[in-house]
This record gives sequence, C-alpha cells and structure tokens, in this order.
Amino acid sequence: MLDALKDIIRKSSIHVCLVNSGGCNGCDIEVVALLSPRYDLEQYGIYVHNNPREADVILVTGAVTEQWKENLRRIYTKAPEPKIVVALGNCPISGDVFNQEGGCVNAPVSDFIPVDAEVSGCPPRPSEILEAILAVAPGAIAAKGRQKE
Amino acid sequence: MILPIGPIHPALKEPLRLKLKTQGERVISAEIDYGYVHRGIERIMVGKTWQKSIYLAERVCGICSYIHTQTFAETFEKISDERAPLRAQYLRVLTNELDRIQSHLLANSTFFKAVEHETLFMYMLHLREPVMDAIELLTGNRVNMGWNVVGGVRMDVKDVHLQQIMTIMNKLEVEYQKYVEMYEQGPLMGLRSKKVGRMTKEEAIKARAVGPIGRASGLKHDLREDHHTYRDNLDFKVIWRKEGDTFARNMNRFDEIPQSISLIKQVIENLPEGDIRKKVEIGAGFGEWRNEAPRGEVTYMIETNGNLINNASIRTPSIMNIDACAKYMLKDVATVSDAIAAYASVDPCIACVERVVIVDEKGGEKQFQGIFDIK
Repeated sequence: MLDALKDIIRKSSIHVCLVNSGGCNGCDIEVVALLSPRYDLEQYGIYVHNNPREADVILVTGAVTEQWKENLRRIYTKAPEPKIVVALGNCPISGDVFNQEGGCVNAPVSDFIPVDAEVSGCPPRPSEILEAILAVAPGAIAAKGRQKE
Repeated sequence: MILPIGPIHPALKEPLRLKLKTQGERVISAEIDYGYVHRGIERIMVGKTWQKSIYLAERVCGICSYIHTQTFAETFEKISDERAPLRAQYLRVLTNELDRIQSHLLANSTFFKAVEHETLFMYMLHLREPVMDAIELLTGNRVNMGWNVVGGVRMDVKDVHLQQIMTIMNKLEVEYQKYVEMYEQGPLMGLRSKKVGRMTKEEAIKARAVGPIGRASGLKHDLREDHHTYRDNLDFKVIWRKEGDTFARNMNRFDEIPQSISLIKQVIENLPEGDIRKKVEIGAGFGEWRNEAPRGEVTYMIETNGNLINNASIRTPSIMNIDACAKYMLKDVATVSDAIAAYASVDPCIACVERVVIVDEKGGEKQFQGIFDIK
C-alpha cells in the first residue's frame, strides 16, 4: 500500500540536478530553454534546482575533464536513492570533438557513474531532452525504489 | 568567514567555485576558482586543417557559439588577404545579431533567476524562443550552427525565411518594450540592482573589462564600430552608460537588443545579390582578428603554414569580466544574495574561460589565477 502510494508520488515529482562536467554550455542552455513557457518542464512535475542532495535525476553534460574525475562520483553518492543518471549530448557518450589527441577529457561518463539513459545530439533539442527524462525517469525511479525496500 | 559556493550550486549554471569572504552578512571580498571545464581546445587545433578546427572553435562556448566561427573564418581570411563576398558579410551580420539577442535575453533571464524574480525570468525565456526559431530557420540548428566557412557562409538564404525573420523581429520589438519598463521602473528590482556591485571607469580599465560590462562602466568601446561590414554599410552607434552598477549592466544589455533588431532589419532590407562563398587560397603566416561577441571582445591568434594550424590562441571576453567581478564588484557588498546577483549580472560563461596555464621557466607549472597574474 505504502509502496504503491510512493510510486504514484515519485512519478509526478521529479527533481533534477544538472551537472556540467566540462562541456561547451550548449546542452545546459537547452535545459534552461526547457524551463521556458513554450516547453514548460514543470507541468510534467519536473523541477530543476541544481542541488544534488535532493535530486532524483542527475543530468550529466560534458566530457568529464580532469577535475571532474573524482568529483563526479562524489556528487553521484550525494544524491539520495532512488536516483537515475541521464547523459545529455554527445560529450558524455563519446567525448564528441574533444576526444582527440591533445584533449583533456575522459569520456565516456559511464566509466565513472552508472548511466540509465543517453540522449545524443550536439546539443539535443529541448523536446528530445524532455522526452528522454519522461520516458525513463518515472518508471526507473519507481523500480529502483522497490528494489531497495 | 569564507563562504564557498559551487561548483554545483542552485545559483550557478556552470561549474565554478566562488569563495566569498564574509563578515556577518556583508561580503568583504571574493575569490574565484576555475579549472572545472578545461578541455584543451587550443591544443587539439594544432596540426589540423581549418575544416577540422572550425567545429572546435564553435564548441568553445555554447551560448555565443556563432561569433567564434566567424572570428576563426575571418582570421584565416586575413592571413590569406581576402574578404568574403558582400552578401556573405551581410548574412554573417544577420546571424551574429540574432545570436546576440538570444544571448542577452538569456543573460538577463539568469539575473532575474538569481534575484528570484520568476515572472521576468519566464518572460525573458518566452521572448527568447522566437529568436531561436529565427536562428533555426536561417541556419538549420538552434545552438551550434555550423554556418561559417573560410570565404563566406555555408548556405544561401531564401526570401520566405527572411520575411519570416522580419515578422518575428517586428513582433519582438513591440512585445519587448513592456518588459524593459517592468525592470526599469519596478521599485523592488531597483532595490536589488541600483548601486549594487559598482565598478568605476578606472577600475574597469584596470581590470580590462569588455563588452556590456565595460560599457556600463563608461568605457565607450564596441568592436563592431571598427568591423568593416558595420563601418562601411550599416548604421550603428555604441550604447554605453555611466553608472557601472548591476542595474546599468542589465539595462545596457536591454538597450542593445533594439539596436540589434534595427541592424537585422537593415540587413534584410539591403541584402545585396551575389555569391555567398568564394574559394580562398589559404596563405601561410600569422593572423589576429577581433570581433565583438555578445559578452565583449573575442580574439583569435592563429599561425598556419598554409594548410595546417601551427599554433592557435583564443582570448574570450568572460575571463576579463569575471576577474573584474571578483576584484572590484564583489567588494564590500551588503548581502550574500546581492553578491550572487552582481555575479549573475556579469553574464559569466565559464566554458570560454578555461584555457590558460602559465609555465614557470624554472620548471613546473603554475596554475593560472586570473588576469592579474600577467604582469
């Protein structure tokens, strides 16, 4: 009974933390564009506040620079269970154009923290980001929550 | 007491550590730590052709991505002693100004978010979306446009799209005025921004502040005045203010938007016929080119052997502005929240900043602490 109730509440209240692990900002401003009245992220119960300690979803952008190698793991452990990670853009998936000789990146992000969903694109369109969060977040959060309990 | 903010914090979009030295609620001084998003773009560029490097230049910064490709292309055009055809130059102005409008609106929306004025934050983002549509109509993408090549632009524009952009601009011009008044005459916004985070003209010169931040402190300096397309063909006037506080910085950005709209209209009305791209024989040598990005002055210094890039150096505006903020604006601010607001008004873009390491001659690397390290 309590589990069922928790599932319903968690599905409609998703807190998002955005972590830029060394990208160009392009994905980040598309997440900001999601807040605009046109896309209106909050009508789906998603709230972006950039605080890892209350986050259900961690959106990772960027290609993991040297400074982030340890800090990314630390931020991941700070977020309470159940949590999911969405990798946003080409950088966390493959390193994009920075993953060449001379670049200081350590992509992919999945080497450092477990990734539940990936959205490709440089940057992905706001509607694609929204679709990815909505497709994976409610179900995954509910399933992970049950596992733990 | 030292109050650390960041690298991940509700008030910040991008990773950066802000250390505020406080006495009670009063902020005495501030220190800024960079280094979270260093990707080594300049190093990757070495040994590559321009076709492979122009994408890298675009990804220096996602918000002002357009101007980086234009400056990169114009640097190569300068080395080869060529200029793009006039139609291409006009189209570059068109895209540049569209990019400037969206960047300024985003910057001001970030400020309103920092002072927790959600209404204006939403209005700014609402105004920004049609501009993003216009960019998408013109170039085919919202953020990283891939629009410039050495010797011109990649695609020609259709009359239908120009008309649609004109409609969007006319609508924006009418709608936009209301929100500026909300900011300019709102008493609460005045309390949060007037006489907060002041920087005088002398300090701005010392800190080498550029762009709207420098212009708000009385530095009448806009590189578009010297750019050949603007100078020869278009009607352009530098917008500047004297106050040098948070309010002036935001208003300076607000005032530049109608001017950008007027430039776009001039371009659409006077767009000349002709080629959009010409073949450029890349010469060998060193070239330097400066342009006015939405945040100030961006410089590319490139050394090429005619095919591959030997050495590249990029100087972006944010590094000077953020240092000016840490050194002069966040000095004796009344509250921590005012300090955050003053920081947001500088329009900081961390992705551009991370690129300099000073190497000590005696061996060993020294971390770059800011522009004040350079004697």
